Amino acid sequence: MKQQKSLHRRIQEGKDFGTVLPALLFLGIFVYYPVVQVVRISFTNWNLINDNYSYVGMKNWIWLFQGSGTKYLINSLKVTALYTIGELAITIIGGMLFAIIFNRITKSFSVMRALVFLPKYVAMSSAAVVFIWILNTQNGILNYFLEQLGQSRVNWLGDRNRALGSILMLTGWRTVGYGMMIYIASMRGISSSYYEAASIDGASKFVQFTRITLPLLSPTTLFLFVTTFISAMKVFQSVDVLTGGGPYRSTEVIVFMIYKYAMEDFRMDRAATIAVFFFVILLAITAATMKISSKRVNYDA
Amino acid sequence: MKKIVLLSATLLLAISMLFAGGVAESKAAPAAPAVSYEVTEPITIEWWHALEQQYWPLVDEIVGGFNSTHPLIKVEAKYIGNYTTLNETLVAAHAAGTGLPALSAANTPYVAEYGKGGLTEDLTPYIKATNYDIDDFGAGMIAATSYEGKQVTVPFLISTQVMYYNKTMAEKEGIVIPAKIDDMEAFLAKATKKAADGTTTRWATIIPGWDQWYFETFYLNSGVKIVNDDRVSTDLAGPAATALTKKFQDWVKKGYTYWASGTSASSNMRQNFIDQKAFSVIHTSSLYNTYINLVKDFEVGMAWLPAGETKKSEIGGSVLLIPAKNDQKTKNAAWEFLQYLIGKDVNMKWADGTGYIPTRNSVLNTSEGQEFLQRKPAFKAIFDNLDEINPRIQHAGWNQLATIWKSYLDQIMIEGVSVDENLQLMAEEINEVLADSE
Repeated sequence: MKQQKSLHRRIQEGKDFGTVLPALLFLGIFVYYPVVQVVRISFTNWNLINDNYSYVGMKNWIWLFQGSGTKYLINSLKVTALYTIGELAITIIGGMLFAIIFNRITKSFSVMRALVFLPKYVAMSSAAVVFIWILNTQNGILNYFLEQLGQSRVNWLGDRNRALGSILMLTGWRTVGYGMMIYIASMRGISSSYYEAASIDGASKFVQFTRITLPLLSPTTLFLFVTTFISAMKVFQSVDVLTGGGPYRSTEVIVFMIYKYAMEDFRMDRAATIAVFFFVILLAITAATMKISSKRVNYDA
Repeated sequence: MKKIVLLSATLLLAISMLFAGGVAESKAAPAAPAVSYEVTEPITIEWWHALEQQYWPLVDEIVGGFNSTHPLIKVEAKYIGNYTTLNETLVAAHAAGTGLPALSAANTPYVAEYGKGGLTEDLTPYIKATNYDIDDFGAGMIAATSYEGKQVTVPFLISTQVMYYNKTMAEKEGIVIPAKIDDMEAFLAKATKKAADGTTTRWATIIPGWDQWYFETFYLNSGVKIVNDDRVSTDLAGPAATALTKKFQDWVKKGYTYWASGTSASSNMRQNFIDQKAFSVIHTSSLYNTYINLVKDFEVGMAWLPAGETKKSEIGGSVLLIPAKNDQKTKNAAWEFLQYLIGKDVNMKWADGTGYIPTRNSVLNTSEGQEFLQRKPAFKAIFDNLDEINPRIQHAGWNQLATIWKSYLDQIMIEGVSVDENLQLMAEEINEVLADSE
């Protein structure tokens, strides 16, 4: 009887494994195999065009951490971190502010919400091309308005102190509506009984917001934080179209750095080394975020 | 269950490592030598190019002309994007070993890297087998399209660096175009206009910083060895390079010129010239037709760039190549089409319809060349200096060098930082790249 049960259990386990096997194979071929390959390439001198390559040990890693690659890695990490902070602020703080403003159930507000959300549907490359002209130093509409206000023209994309901010303008235009919609959906899921009880107790709107809305929005904030963080760390298209990593590498985010070494300089070996390092960073930060936030997120909503 | 998953993952890793080990050192066997270069059966081939929309009618006309006279071959021309995009697409297809075109255009700086990496077919046997008259191209063009003595590409649409200037303004204000770099200071001072508050209202010239090809000539003619003879070091921090860089920086600081860099730098520079906010601009000769068509209020002149110890320029534009990984039938069809594209008559069509230079000796040095000059008189500046057009510097680390060089010069010119200090740092980086790429 016991043996029969054990056999039955094993068959069941085999069936279970069989159902997940296609997904595991898919992941193995299209996710883990490329990851393994990238790690391997980081120990070679492959230059993308050449079919032949040899293993060079830690050479690329030494270049990245002790050679001429170090200062560009630090620069890219800094730029990527600044960009990520900017996008997180826009999506979370901007999204929440817009959600508070636009969370009204009327037709006019519905139209306004759609207008704010609409840019999310515009392809990033198309939007970036439009922003190139908006931000053009000589003929851009933004500088035209500044001149009408008696201000001098601003070199939005050519000044290293402004270029990253200009990229964030485009990011904000595209993502603030997304943050808003997610927050509105979440706000509408909060039971009105909490607010009614708080009102009876004499809590002001501000207190209701800080003590009820904000804590109950924390799962949504965590979701937005993690997804925005990962997408912001991987920003590429807007940088590629708007600045090409310039002026003088001041907007060279890490994915652009990888792309440049691989596709412009043909140094796939160096690109792979940076990619592996970046993968580890992303993994570590995401894991840390999940661990820290698990203690502070309130899922009561 | 855990054990099964772990075992599967281990197996997957082992298989991938095994496969990875298997491909190391050599991924492709060398192609067998072709016996015949003739096209014997119908075939459709793709030609990748970077000629923008304004040139598509000309592309259609030329490809149509080939298709109608070559019944066995049907060519489909495909615009891939600019030369950077074309390069990326081509290299990706080469690395994948699939989706390659039969024939592709490529920007001139890629010749060495493509040649070294084995992306391009060596055309030398094709030239010999079909008795193709490659010597009808100048020696400089042949050298510019070869790698280590192998004809890995052929000249296609060739241009060089020139100075476009406002001829009407020059005549009216008596501005003389400088023949020497030493004459630049006087020229810049005279051609620059400033407002009462000292801000520039008209630049004497604009120096493109977005592509090192434009300022490279100034360094070469000042005796700078961008890649030293040892192939692993640069002279870009040497006394001549430092002196010239300081000159550029000084001109920028004085408001005579600005360093055009960034994504819209080229179009902004062109617009400044058209709007007469700049007396002159340094640009590629291939844009001659564009300037002529856009400028309505004044006559456009074209001048050779100011000389130093020498007055060399460098070849620009594009070359044609046949990817080495294609099968022989496709290569044969591509070779047939390639010969047509660079043929004497078609070459003149390209030169007339674009701003590129005629490339054939049988055109340049004959009455046909004189007729071309009558149609485009500004090209006399180039025709008078044809022997001065040199091949690009060929080094597998060239693109990396160029990126570092541009980046440092951008910072030196735009922020006005120390030339000596930054050139030293730059040279150290470039030396490392050159040594690692050679």
